[in-house]
Amino acid sequence: MNIEEQIKDILARITRVDKSIITRQSTFKEIKADSLDVVQALVAVEETFGIEIPDEEAQKFQNFGDFVTYVENKVAQGQKV
Amino acid sequence: MGGDYAPQEIVKGAVLAAQKDDVEIFLVGTANVLEKELAKHKFTANGSSIHIVGASEFINENESPVDVIRRKPNCSVAVAAKMVKSGEADALFSAGSSGAAAISAIQFIGMVDGVYRPALVGSLGSFAPNTVMVDLGANVDCKPYQFLTFAIAGSVYAKRFLGISDPKIALLSTGSEESKGNDAVREAYSLLKNSGLNFVGNIEGGDILTGKANVIVCDGFVGNVLLKFYESIGAYAQVWIERKLRKHPPLRALARLLFKRLFPATKISRETEKQGGGILWGIDGVVKIAHGASRAPQIANAIESAKEAVKAGVVETLKSELVRFNQGGKS
Repeated sequence: MNIEEQIKDILARITRVDKSIITRQSTFKEIKADSLDVVQALVAVEETFGIEIPDEEAQKFQNFGDFVTYVENKVAQGQKV
Repeated sequence: MGGDYAPQEIVKGAVLAAQKDDVEIFLVGTANVLEKELAKHKFTANGSSIHIVGASEFINENESPVDVIRRKPNCSVAVAAKMVKSGEADALFSAGSSGAAAISAIQFIGMVDGVYRPALVGSLGSFAPNTVMVDLGANVDCKPYQFLTFAIAGSVYAKRFLGISDPKIALLSTGSEESKGNDAVREAYSLLKNSGLNFVGNIEGGDILTGKANVIVCDGFVGNVLLKFYESIGAYAQVWIERKLRKHPPLRALARLLFKRLFPATKISRETEKQGGGILWGIDGVVKIAHGASRAPQIANAIESAKEAVKAGVVETLKSELVRFNQGGKS
């Protein structure tokens, strides 16, 4: 499963929305994720991929696509090291 | 170690609870502060039923409770939650930030399968002794399916603590018709109608105290506003009547007597006091939260009732009811 699908699974599990409604354009508000859902998702993603997502970076995510792109880049950086 | 009068009143309450009950208490917070406070009661942590667990961080009322998870995972309420998760403690009690306690419980203890967020359930006591309300403030914004788990939690409470075998469940709305209410309430109506629960439909604010329903389901915003209004009625009504009868001393004295001896309204806050706060239903462990303004007697009561909840197996009962419900059996 690719990174996008894994994050989608995490977000769907936490927010209890149907995974199929989450697209790269979806905002957290559109998938009815409140602040606790978002923080739980960040923690779960950090644990899953062994990365750290600083709050100031997380606050820049405008939609699900931004979140995925950030994690993909971070994982790629980690693999290069 | 939160609360408006922490640590003094919390420690005093813990000492009261330890003196009157067979209970082992872990005070979680700044160790040297707690030791000094315990010493005032001639109570030392060593060899007694009260122990101190150090936690250097704490959440202030002006901080976001969500900070518990990422910024302050070692604050006192988070440490206490982790102790419940690990089995070192059977229950968590906090008079600090309710949000921080709820979020610590969600993140570090976890939810019962099938429950999204915890809810506060409470009996209305005096005026409506056979009625419970859910949610009393844990969820300001609710998703429709949350109302379903609120109904199941309320039903378990009514059966377990009020002895009602088949509680009638109603949804609080702005009218009895299915089409009344906001989007979440209308969607919840449909879910409850098809749930197999003993759902009797919508009720309005004026029906709350009539006994039409044993379990009244609403979101935490409505529930919390109602709870605080309800708790204020007794004291306010007494003051209002005494002022009205100011020029009639004999009647005023009679009114005071009636309030003290007969009128149930004054008992509302006493009952709330007796329970010492509410249980967060849906957490996979007993978590009790109390008003920040709680004093030592309420703290002691809350500790005692948390112990009773553990003994009564409320978490296990809720789990088995949810399993039964998900398998198609009536809760």
